[in-house]
Amino acid sequence: MSVLTVCPYCGTGCQMVIPTQTPGERVIGYSKSPVNEGKLCLKGYSGLSYNFSKERLKYPLIKRNGEFVRVSWEAALTETSNRLKKIIREYGPDSVAFQSSAKCTNEENYLMQKIARVIGTNNIDHCARSCHSPTAMGLITTLGAGAATGSINSLDDSKTYFVIGSNTTEQHPIIGTKIIKGSKKGKNLIVADPRKTQLAEIASIHLQFNPGTDVALLNSIMHVILEGNLEDTKFIEERTEGFRALRQELAKYSPEIVEGITGIEPGKLREAAKIIAKEKPTSILYAMGITQHVHGTENVMSISNLALLTGNLGVRGSGIFPLRGQNNVQGSSDMGALSEWYPGYIPVNSDSVKRFEILWKRSLPTKTGLTLSEMFDAAVDGSLKAIYIMGENPLVTEAAISDVEKGIENLELLIVQDIFMTLTAGLADIVLPATTSLEKEGTFTNTERRIQKVNVIYDSPGEAMPDWWILNEIGKRVGGLESYDTPRSIFEEIRKAIPNYSGATYENIYPTGKQWPINKENPDGTEILHTKSFPIGKGKLVPIPYRPPVEVTDAKYDFIMTTGRNYFHFHSGTMSRRADVLERESPEPYVEINTEDAKRIGVRDSQKITIESRHGSIETNVRTTEKIPAGIVFVPFHFDESRVNRLVGKTLDPLSKIPEFKVVAVRLVV
Amino acid sequence: MESAFVAISSDFQVYGAVERDGDVIFDRVAGFDQVSEERSRYAPKEFLMKRNENVLILNVESKKAVFGIKSCDLKGFYLMDKQIFGKDPFYTQKREKTLFANFVCSEPCNGGFCSSFGGPVLDQYDLQILREGEKFHVMVSEKYDRYFREFKKETGTFYVDFSNRFNSKLEPLPVEGIEKRIKWNSELWKEYASACISCGACNFECPTCYCFDLYDDGNERKKEWDSCILSGFTSSSAGNIRKGLDERLRQRFYHKFVYFKKSKDTYLCTGCNRCVEDCPVGIDIKEVITYDYNGE
Repeated sequence: MSVLTVCPYCGTGCQMVIPTQTPGERVIGYSKSPVNEGKLCLKGYSGLSYNFSKERLKYPLIKRNGEFVRVSWEAALTETSNRLKKIIREYGPDSVAFQSSAKCTNEENYLMQKIARVIGTNNIDHCARSCHSPTAMGLITTLGAGAATGSINSLDDSKTYFVIGSNTTEQHPIIGTKIIKGSKKGKNLIVADPRKTQLAEIASIHLQFNPGTDVALLNSIMHVILEGNLEDTKFIEERTEGFRALRQELAKYSPEIVEGITGIEPGKLREAAKIIAKEKPTSILYAMGITQHVHGTENVMSISNLALLTGNLGVRGSGIFPLRGQNNVQGSSDMGALSEWYPGYIPVNSDSVKRFEILWKRSLPTKTGLTLSEMFDAAVDGSLKAIYIMGENPLVTEAAISDVEKGIENLELLIVQDIFMTLTAGLADIVLPATTSLEKEGTFTNTERRIQKVNVIYDSPGEAMPDWWILNEIGKRVGGLESYDTPRSIFEEIRKAIPNYSGATYENIYPTGKQWPINKENPDGTEILHTKSFPIGKGKLVPIPYRPPVEVTDAKYDFIMTTGRNYFHFHSGTMSRRADVLERESPEPYVEINTEDAKRIGVRDSQKITIESRHGSIETNVRTTEKIPAGIVFVPFHFDESRVNRLVGKTLDPLSKIPEFKVVAVRLVV
Repeated sequence: MESAFVAISSDFQVYGAVERDGDVIFDRVAGFDQVSEERSRYAPKEFLMKRNENVLILNVESKKAVFGIKSCDLKGFYLMDKQIFGKDPFYTQKREKTLFANFVCSEPCNGGFCSSFGGPVLDQYDLQILREGEKFHVMVSEKYDRYFREFKKETGTFYVDFSNRFNSKLEPLPVEGIEKRIKWNSELWKEYASACISCGACNFECPTCYCFDLYDDGNERKKEWDSCILSGFTSSSAGNIRKGLDERLRQRFYHKFVYFKKSKDTYLCTGCNRCVEDCPVGIDIKEVITYDYNGE
């Protein structure tokens, strides 16, 4: 038998077919999938062996006298719920927080946020905070929907691709191949990135701008467009508001002035701006290079300004594509696993929360909850007593790790539900063994809003149980929730909770998925958003003044560090570092340094070096490259043994609360 | 000492130097006072390193018969045989115990170029089946002849005629002599490298690629399909000798069309077109064969 499911890695959501009679041997791309059309990247082909790792968690564990002891599920569930209930009784519901996971299914994310809210707290958040919270915040403000406006397939109709802050071929490889093929066919490709990525190498124009100057760059592009009267006046008139104020702001950003900020030569910028505006339809693709900044939300809104100004929304080939890092980060956000939104992006303090009070038959909290990093601060100051983490590893992935350590140390109770003994799980009081997404049923929603079915392929090891099952048991015991028999029964409730999901069923999303909104009006789902109008009526043009990044270089900290993923690994490496070929390709931590910089400070490839920031220091290995400009270094965040997030400070975007992972002033100590 | 010995004994199997027939050797001991202070006759290496020990247990595989494999895919095994049969014990055992019944295509498939390598009628097979309407034309190898004793088998001329007809419908590519025409410094490799995302599909989907990586997982040593496109492939302490992706892509084509030809007198390609179909950026091995290297 062969089973169709969704790749557990990035947000592209490639569909794969896995024959079950030869476990672990063969993976093929699903040829009928509109997402990947039968293709996969290396993580898809070679990245699944973590499933069979001997290190999988197999039994519930409780820490007694500093050592983990194997216990029965009954004992683990009873202790988990009794200790949670005791803390809630003594300190109130806001003394407890939940960290959900974009690696888990919609059903599981829905269930976790429901448990939090039924208990009485909005302290529910997950890693979308650290990747696309500015997208949700920014695009909901300007367009009314915080999601990609088109489909991956619709990129075939683009005449121009504008890729900013996305190393697409490494992070969303199959989407990257669309752009490669388009570019090879002669389509325009404009890449804005401080690093010389693979796409930058083949681009018509590469704008190699200074990290953190995105708003200046985008404003300047729009300045040129207005200067040449290249804006889409009809679209602006009929579909947008706020043009006058935007125009006033943009007047300040002539390429000649902005060159001093971004480092981009005016002629090059003018050329790029003209192509974006004239060679339509233009699709704009972005990722963490836009969002992980102290002005991440403003960056997103600037992108929205550019798309609105040039009328690049609502038709195939145009649009805004925030590329989602995790397989289900769109879905987990849709499900309301965020501290400021109920399912379907209903603000916690709005009257619409009543809908959930009726659905869940409880009165519900309306105070905004704690975000990821705020949770650890609250743990440090003692107001937060317990954190329940599902499938996240903040001791590697969260900014300002030393604060996370302090916070965890100060907790009365840390519960971690995971597939491996991560660094974070190692500090837990209770560890609950979960199944992987290849061992359970549910749905993921990919980066283009496609709700796809996830199916059971392998048996799970030991007594590991699906996350939804564990949550269901906790929900019954702590929240007095009625029991769900299957993921399907949770999904049926999701359909009632979120209008955009109302038309989706386990039957009609199989095999190739459906893009939300799927409802009575759009029974087959919706490929292109905003074709006639925006959910908020008119699109909002928002003047965004440029503000420099918070971290700046000085005589001591003379390099700018950016952080991110590489092609072979994924986030804290829990999965990819246990996949043989992937780990072989990238076995140790490193820092990418420009070849000339390396010569200047006298270091060679593979040499050990210390990186210091104002917040901490790590030791790592030098990797020299010409793909990064002088003065900038890049460090991936996958490695337990050299955690780059020790160096990242806790400067947050005031709007979305995302930390500034992309601009950190550092020095290199040989 | 005696009480510590007792405590340790409850957690460990305990051995000690003891005198036996005049020589001091190592054996189980029950008390600390039994341990000899004399120098043992030999260095007790076997506690960590036995003179010989088992490093491989081969599961006994059951016999399998596989119907419906296409000739191009089956031919991959006959090519692999030349390199790994008798050397890779996992492969060899399964190879010997698997019967393949290949279906000969009656029409060329979209993109396939098997005629360049002899076409769908194979010289080597277990059970070769060509369907003609309701009729099956079957060729059987000696090894499996007993299953077809009662049936009339093709003598071979039918197949020769069929093969000629098929190959005239699908014009062969000028593959002959490619090992001499192909160019080390061709621009083609750089062009491919600028598009390739190192997914490994060309290796993983190729019926002739056999390279694997070896790794340890807990108490087991495992092997897994590998890809020569990756920089960690055949890496030594100095890294991969083929630093650039262009060099690694070139290596793949040189292995198929130059090195294998030189060492085994055949090309390591069956014309199945799978690497082309599954390549996400459209790199086409047919272009490597037909490219005008002289015109560069």
